[in-house]
Amino acid sequence: MGELGVDHFLFLSAALFIIGMMGVLTRRNLLIIFMCVELMTNAVNLSLVAFGWGLNSLDGQAFAVFIVAVAAAEAAVGLAIIMALSRRQRTVDVDALRSLRD
Amino acid sequence: MPWDVLIFYLIAAVCVLSAAGVVVARNPVHSAIFLVLCFVNIAATFVMMGAEFLAVVQVIVYTGAILVLVLFVLMLVNPDDLPEFHAARPVQRYVGLLLGAILLLEVGAAIVTRSVSGEQGTATPDNIAAVGGNTQALGRVLYSDYLLAFEVVSLVLLVGVVGAIVLALPERLGERPSVARRGSISLSHPRGVDAALPEGRPAGETLIPTRHSTSPTRASGAVATGNDREVSAGPTPTGVVRDLVMTRDADAFGHMGDKR
Amino acid sequence: MNDQPLWLTFIVAFTAMNVLLAGMAYMTWFERKVLARMQDRLGPTRTGPAGLLQPIADGIKLLGKEDLIPAAADKPVFFFAPLVIFVTAIVSVAVIPFGGTVEIFGRDVNLFAADLNVGALFILAFGSLGVYGIILGSYASASRYPLLGGLRAAAQVISYEIVLGLALVGVFILSGSLSLRDILARQQETLSLGPIDIPNWFILSQPIAFVIYTIAAVAETNRAPFDLPEAETELAAGFHTEYSAFRFSFYYLGEYINMIVISLFASTLFLGGTGGPGSDRFWGLGIFWLLAKTIVFLFFYIWLRATLPRFRYDQLMGIAWKVLLPLVLLNIVFTAFIRLVANGELEIPVWVWIAVAVAVVALLALSLRPGGGGEAAPARTSAVGGD
Repeated sequence: MGELGVDHFLFLSAALFIIGMMGVLTRRNLLIIFMCVELMTNAVNLSLVAFGWGLNSLDGQAFAVFIVAVAAAEAAVGLAIIMALSRRQRTVDVDALRSLRD
Repeated sequence: MPWDVLIFYLIAAVCVLSAAGVVVARNPVHSAIFLVLCFVNIAATFVMMGAEFLAVVQVIVYTGAILVLVLFVLMLVNPDDLPEFHAARPVQRYVGLLLGAILLLEVGAAIVTRSVSGEQGTATPDNIAAVGGNTQALGRVLYSDYLLAFEVVSLVLLVGVVGAIVLALPERLGERPSVARRGSISLSHPRGVDAALPEGRPAGETLIPTRHSTSPTRASGAVATGNDREVSAGPTPTGVVRDLVMTRDADAFGHMGDKR
Repeated sequence: MNDQPLWLTFIVAFTAMNVLLAGMAYMTWFERKVLARMQDRLGPTRTGPAGLLQPIADGIKLLGKEDLIPAAADKPVFFFAPLVIFVTAIVSVAVIPFGGTVEIFGRDVNLFAADLNVGALFILAFGSLGVYGIILGSYASASRYPLLGGLRAAAQVISYEIVLGLALVGVFILSGSLSLRDILARQQETLSLGPIDIPNWFILSQPIAFVIYTIAAVAETNRAPFDLPEAETELAAGFHTEYSAFRFSFYYLGEYINMIVISLFASTLFLGGTGGPGSDRFWGLGIFWLLAKTIVFLFFYIWLRATLPRFRYDQLMGIAWKVLLPLVLLNIVFTAFIRLVANGELEIPVWVWIAVAVAVVALLALSLRPGGGGEAAPARTSAVGGD
């Protein structure tokens, strides 16, 4: 496959993103869905850094740093919501959490 | 094949396999372990691209903080809630797979047919080495070009902290947390702590946990649904305020993995 | 720094690792001896002169024990959880510099395994990975005491890791680098205080950070008085209750290696690392000084264990979030400010200084008034374990 290029990393990023997406689509446990979302953000990070690497620019890494920071905030709030949900509804199954629908 | 390509394929293979493990594993704790593996390998790819600082931040923030929190929540959530009582509907599974495959093909086609083009930046390896390394170079970019974004992100983090605290507060505001809750971590909170006797309740009254929000879809097949909901009250000695309520099936707290 | 062949780096890393392992084994001997002396006992005396063969005897005993696995355990996780803590502890030593580039047998050898641009953060990152050994081990045991211990450990280590990392920021600001070699080089410079020259160790310019780092490091390694995760009186043995034989010894090894690594790290960051009399003439002396400082640190650990009672859990968390974190943030702001002023990048009119001085005096007066404990935090940190 010759030299190590941006494409390698982009393929890896795409694969991870899609695996994460399939996890979100098929799993029913909120915590696993949360983890899959984290996987997807990481895949995006990877592609940003790869683009920056290909273009000799640090902007991609700067973006990735911001994404990491926002993901930390997201994790704090998201996990708190999951905790509150499991305390009230006694389940973390997204199919059971339908009190807004019926 | 050059060494770096070989190493890349090794890392990529571990990444993809462990990512697949996250999705496939039945046990959420195993999912989390796979995710740790995946994140550490993504950090390794960052190192390959010369982004050492980001790699370390990735390990510290994602694996060291976020996933530890996830594991923490996994252990605090009622273990009986964790396994998925019914898997995804087959339709969802097939459609998900199909969509994933289509998206992968599209993105793959995009990557293959296009090449990364654009204005070449100034962050060549030589320039980065001139300012002292990746950390210093990234610091310069963050604190000059992206100063405003940096400040906004700090605000987002602050709001996140406040939000997390608000969400984790007791149900009703102003409710004084019970002694048991304030001082210690409850093992498996819904039953262990919430039923604690509020101070001043007349002694001798039978204890019944207040919240019985049984969800209709909760599978009946779950182990230990019946007996542990009740409180093994027994006669409460007069004048003694109980902090922690023991359940009849004490071992129901300990097991998490193999119970579904 | 020179480019050396890979095999040479391997030899250096291998040596460092084995020295660390041997050091760990004798750390247990040292701890037992010191602890015994503090309690007016003798400690191990039977095995070898002064009990020097005790660690070997312990190792053989642990190897020969029966390896018990709980029936309900999550077996794969149960197997590899102890390895996680062990490996993450031992990898960190790769970035610690034991000296510069020296000539041994006519060859230039780097006395460090890797010179990372982010060396200090690397150690923090692997320290944070070590938590998984505890959490997963406690989960996989499928038992209640370990689970409680694991939860405690997770909460404690996350909290104190923030403090630990932030305590180092002051050092990073002053040295302008995250590379441990650069930090070390900065501390080799001399600081002239009137007639005498003293080395520019960061403990002098960052005393608050050093104290906070020491406290957080004790908590991070789950040592007394912060050993809540393995509090014997409450939790049996905490997260490793269900572990026995050699699997247990990995936890044991990991804990002690963590202590040694974090002490090496502290010596490098705050105490001038390999700096000391004569270390610039002969590299062996540098290593000697580094190890001497580390042993002083380890002695301090043992001293704490022998002296202080265990904290309550809410006290532990309160110290981290209410005392140490605000202090360390103040330290960062203060250091950055001083750095700016000292570099002449910030011009401050005289009236600001006067206003600040008045405000500080007023604050001090307010906090010293009986009942008003606004800035009483430093006093509390120095009296850790008082209650």
